[in-house]
Amino acid sequence: MGKATLVVFVLALTASQTNGQTAAAPQAGAARAARVAGHPNFNGLWQAMTEANWDIVAHPARPGPTQFGALFSEPAGVGIVEGNEIPYQPQAAAKQKENFKNRWTADPEAKCYMPGVPRATYMPFPFQIIQGDKEIVIAYPFASASRIIHMTDVGESPADAWMGWSRARWEGDTLVVNVTNQIEDTWFDRAGNFHSDQLNVVERYTPVGDNVIQYEATMTDPKVFTRPWKISLPLYRRLEKNAQFLEFKCVPFSEELIYGHLRKK
Amino acid sequence: MRAATIATSFVVLALVVVHGQGQSKTPWGDPDLQGTWSNQTLTPLERPAQFKDKPVLTEAEAAAYEKRLVEQGDVDNRTPGTVQDVNLAYNQVWWDRGNKIVADRRTSLIVDPPDGRIPALTPAAQKRREEDRKAGDNEKSAASWLDFDVYSRCIIRSALPRLSTGYNNNYEIVQSPGFVAIMQEQMHETRIIPLGNQPHLTSTVRQWLGDSRGHWEGNTLVVETTNFTDEARGSTFQYATKNMRLVERFTRTSDRTIDYQFTVSDPDTWTRPWTAKLPWNRIDGLIYEYACHEGNLGLEHMLSAARATDDKK
Amino acid sequence: MKLTHIATIAALAFAATAPAALAHHSFSAEFDVNKPIKLQGTVKRVQWINPHTWIWIDVKKPDGTIEEWGVEAGTPNTLFRLGFTREALPVGTEIVVSGYEARDGAKRANGRDMTLPDGRKLLMGSSAGNDAQSK
Repeated sequence: MGKATLVVFVLALTASQTNGQTAAAPQAGAARAARVAGHPNFNGLWQAMTEANWDIVAHPARPGPTQFGALFSEPAGVGIVEGNEIPYQPQAAAKQKENFKNRWTADPEAKCYMPGVPRATYMPFPFQIIQGDKEIVIAYPFASASRIIHMTDVGESPADAWMGWSRARWEGDTLVVNVTNQIEDTWFDRAGNFHSDQLNVVERYTPVGDNVIQYEATMTDPKVFTRPWKISLPLYRRLEKNAQFLEFKCVPFSEELIYGHLRKK
Repeated sequence: MRAATIATSFVVLALVVVHGQGQSKTPWGDPDLQGTWSNQTLTPLERPAQFKDKPVLTEAEAAAYEKRLVEQGDVDNRTPGTVQDVNLAYNQVWWDRGNKIVADRRTSLIVDPPDGRIPALTPAAQKRREEDRKAGDNEKSAASWLDFDVYSRCIIRSALPRLSTGYNNNYEIVQSPGFVAIMQEQMHETRIIPLGNQPHLTSTVRQWLGDSRGHWEGNTLVVETTNFTDEARGSTFQYATKNMRLVERFTRTSDRTIDYQFTVSDPDTWTRPWTAKLPWNRIDGLIYEYACHEGNLGLEHMLSAARATDDKK
Repeated sequence: MKLTHIATIAALAFAATAPAALAHHSFSAEFDVNKPIKLQGTVKRVQWINPHTWIWIDVKKPDGTIEEWGVEAGTPNTLFRLGFTREALPVGTEIVVSGYEARDGAKRANGRDMTLPDGRKLLMGSSAGNDAQSK
C-alpha cells in the first residue's frame, strides 16, 4: 500500500468513528438525541389519546353490550376525520350501517385479528418504533401485529397482508409511508367503518418537539369512497420511567367466540 | 521514507484495533447486527448416536452427511399410506429447511454438555413430556382448542429460543439507540429488547415470548429473558417450566454471519444448564407477513373432525 | 373419484435422522390416513394465506357434475422467496392432487403431491431456479 493510500485509509477510519450522533441513555425519561443519522428521532414508545378506536367520526356516548352495564360502553368523541365525514359511495354507506349493527361479533378486533393501518396507530395501546436506516419496524401490542417499513426499493408485494406493504421516504423531517396491499377484512374502528382491497393509505409522521408526533393518514379507495379522505391526530410519547412495550396476545381470548360452536357438548 | 511508512502502519493498525477489526457499527456506535437473517440448518440439536464420540466431522464426512440429510429431507420421496406421510403434508417446494449443515461441521448444535445431548430431565419434566405426548395422541378427539398446542392455536410458533424449523426461519434485526428489535417471520412478532440494566417485569406479568433485557459485552449482544408462561401446551421450550432463564449471545462474525448461542437453565427441568450454537446467515430475500391466527382454518377443521367422529368410538 | 393405488416407493425410513420439528402440525388430526384420494380439477380460486395456502378446484365427476374441493397447501411465504407471486397458479390451470381426505367429511384434502396433468410437479421452475425440485 503506498503512503498516500495509507493516509487516505487512516483518514477514512477516523471519519467513520466520529460520524453520527452520540447515543443518549436508553432509559425512558433520560435525555434523548433529537436526531439519528440525519433524521428526526422517532424511536420510542408512542400512544394515541383519542376515542378513534370506538369511532373515527364524531359520535355521542353509546351503550356497549348491555349485559355488561356501563363496563364496555363507549365515550363520546370529536373524531379524527378531517371534515368529519367519510365519503362513502351509496352501497358502501349501507354496508357500514350493517357492520355497525353486527359490530360485537363482526368487528375483526373481536377475533383478535391484526388491525391494519391506520387502525393500529390509534388503538389505545402503546406501540414501539425502532428506526433503523434501511428498515423501520413498528411493533403494536394488539395481536402482536408488526410492520416493516422499507426505506429502500423492495418492489411490489407478492400478495396482500393484514398489515399491508409499507414503503417510505423522508420529505424533510416528515416520514411519508405508502401503504398498499392491505386485505379487505380490517375495519377502521369498532363502528364498522371499512374499506376494500383497493385501499391505499399514505401516512405522514412529523415531529412536534421531542415527545409528540403529528400523525396524518390519507385513505384512497375507488371501490368504497367517492374521493380520498384524511385523518389527523397527535401521538404522545409514553414518559413513565418503567414504560415498556408489552404483549397483548389476545388469541386465547378470542377462541371461544371463534370456535365455541365446535366445543364438545 | 521507511520509518514514516512503519509509523503510519502502526497508526493504521491502532485504529483498526480500536474499531474492532473493522467491525461494522451503527451511526451511534453500537455493533451492527442489522439485516435479514435465517437460522435454518440441517444440523440436529442433539448429536445423533452414530456420531457419539465425534463432535466435529471431517470435510469429506460432512459433505456425505449433508448430502444424505438433503436426500432424506426431500419429502417428495416418502412412504405413502402412513401417518407420517399425512404429517409431511405437501410437496418439497413448500418447505424451506435449507440444505446445509453448520459451517464448522459440528455434529450437534449443543456445545455444552460436551456429549452434545440435552442433560437429563428431572422426573417432573419427564412427566410433563409424557403428558404432552399423550395429549398429542388424543388430538383426534379433542374436546376444545385447549387440547391443541400453541402451534396449532397460532399463539406462538415455538417458544424461545427458536431453533431451525420447517420454514420461515427468518428474522429482521433493526437497531436504534438503546434498543434492538428482532422481528420473527414465524409469527410476525417483534421482540423488543431494551438495552441497559432496568429490572425485568414483575414476576406476576408473564409473556409468551418472555421479557428481555440486553447489553453489550464488547461486540456481543447478550440478551437475558425471563417471565415466561407455561399456561398452554407447547408454551415452553422443551418441556421447561415458566421459570426457565434464557441467555442469548449474538456476535457479528462477518458481513453475512452472526454467531448465535443460547444457554437455558431451569433446575425444575434439567439437571444442569446447557448451551447450543447455531449460525444466523444473511439472506437476500424479504420477510413476509405470516398471519397465522387470521387464516387458521386448520384448527377449525381439526375440531370439526373431532366432533364428526365423536359418536364413532 | 378414483382411489389411486400409489406404487410404494423404495422405502426411505424417514425417522431418526430426519430434521427436527418436522411434523409439528397435527395434520393427521385434520386428514385421514385411511382415506387417500386423487383429484383432478381446474383451479377456481387460490387463497394465498397463512398458515396454509388454499387451492379451490372444480372437479368433474364421471356423471358430468362439478364438485368443488379445497386443497390445503403450505405457506405462500416460501414460494414468494422463490420468486412466485399470486399469479403463480392462474385460474383455469388443470392440476392433479394426491392427498388424504378431511376427517370431518367435508370436500377438502391436503395437497400431499400436486402435479400438472403431464406429471410435472406443480410450481417448478422460478426466477430463483430451485434445483432441489427437479426430480
